[in-house]
Amino acid sequence: MKGSRVVLFALALGLLARDVPLSAHHGGSDYDQQHLVTLKGTVTEFDWTNPHVQIFLDVKDGSGKLTNWGIEGSAPAVLKRAGWRAETLHSGDQVTLTVAPSKKGTAVAALRKAVLPDGKELSSGQLGEQPTQ
Amino acid sequence: MRNCFKLRVAVLGAVLALSAIVLAQTAPQSGTAKPDSKPQGFNPHDLAGVWNPAPYMQPKNEPPVTFGMQAAPNDVLPPFNPAGKAKYETNLKFIAAGDVLDCDPYGTARNFFTPRPFEILLTHDRLLQHFEYYDNWREIWTDGRKIPADAEPDYMGYSIGRWAGDTFIVDSAAYNGKQFLSWSGLPQSESMRQTERWQRINPDTLRILFTFDDPKFYAKPWTITAFYKLKKDWVLDAHPCTLSELKEYDDKLNHADKLPGRDYKP
Repeated sequence: MKGSRVVLFALALGLLARDVPLSAHHGGSDYDQQHLVTLKGTVTEFDWTNPHVQIFLDVKDGSGKLTNWGIEGSAPAVLKRAGWRAETLHSGDQVTLTVAPSKKGTAVAALRKAVLPDGKELSSGQLGEQPTQ
Repeated sequence: MRNCFKLRVAVLGAVLALSAIVLAQTAPQSGTAKPDSKPQGFNPHDLAGVWNPAPYMQPKNEPPVTFGMQAAPNDVLPPFNPAGKAKYETNLKFIAAGDVLDCDPYGTARNFFTPRPFEILLTHDRLLQHFEYYDNWREIWTDGRKIPADAEPDYMGYSIGRWAGDTFIVDSAAYNGKQFLSWSGLPQSESMRQTERWQRINPDTLRILFTFDDPKFYAKPWTITAFYKLKKDWVLDAHPCTLSELKEYDDKLNHADKLPGRDYKP
């Protein structure tokens, strides 16, 4: 029984590895999808542009060191369907972003979810149809 | 008399139960409808509208072709010949380097395998496909012509289509071989001939069986199946490729992440 559970879990992981569409020109493998990070900080720039919307965010770590993160989202067309607009963010906004960080350890990441200054949550959009749960 | 009635009720119940089982086993499931099954309640020849890819519906025993579908260790690969395998391995290096070089059209196959919607428009002599990603257009001639022997090789090739029953059959050739066949880096050459069998298998699902015949890179023709869902309330938000935006993306993100982007040299 325990063995079959392990097999099922491995199978599920295998399916996930193949079936999760990732948004990034980097190719999905550049971002660590298994270890998402929450970044709280101040927006320094919001570029509503192709090929990917970009959010630059000043984030202080525990020691007070300030790092400017570059975070890419999907294309504007995809984000619009998720409720985003060109005016959704502005410099100075305080936001919380859930991101998949670069595997290289740089301050670059792919957006997964945003909590806006008014508390509203927006996803990073959906590429293609997803199976109904 | 009473026992006879009970017997008739029991027999009737058994027949109904058996019928339900048989119906359940023979009813076409979404994505697995038999090619010759007759769709009900919609016009299977009406393909107009916005269609969004449903890559999760692709059978698991086929090579993954859609953007972001990371190949699992045991995934099936197409039947490469040695030249095709070498080209595929070269393409994987390009993908690992960031996969953005320029704004070349994506070709017909890679456009289909991009998880972004496309719109179908019908005219008296053509079926037009408008792909949201990179704003690519494809025309499929439906006026009975053949693919001209002197068709100019192009990223999008030259396509003709015809109906056979409820299946729309598209034949394409005259590709220039400069584009990947898929986001996963499968190669295609100028010798490729592509056949598609489109079937609207229910009101909101389009299934397309692709066959790729490309002897320069593959030992034999191979097939994959793709599915698309009709989005009645969507309009395309075309996303043209713009070199200045790619450059800015490289400068701000790719290079910050130590990726070459458009500076990639094979």
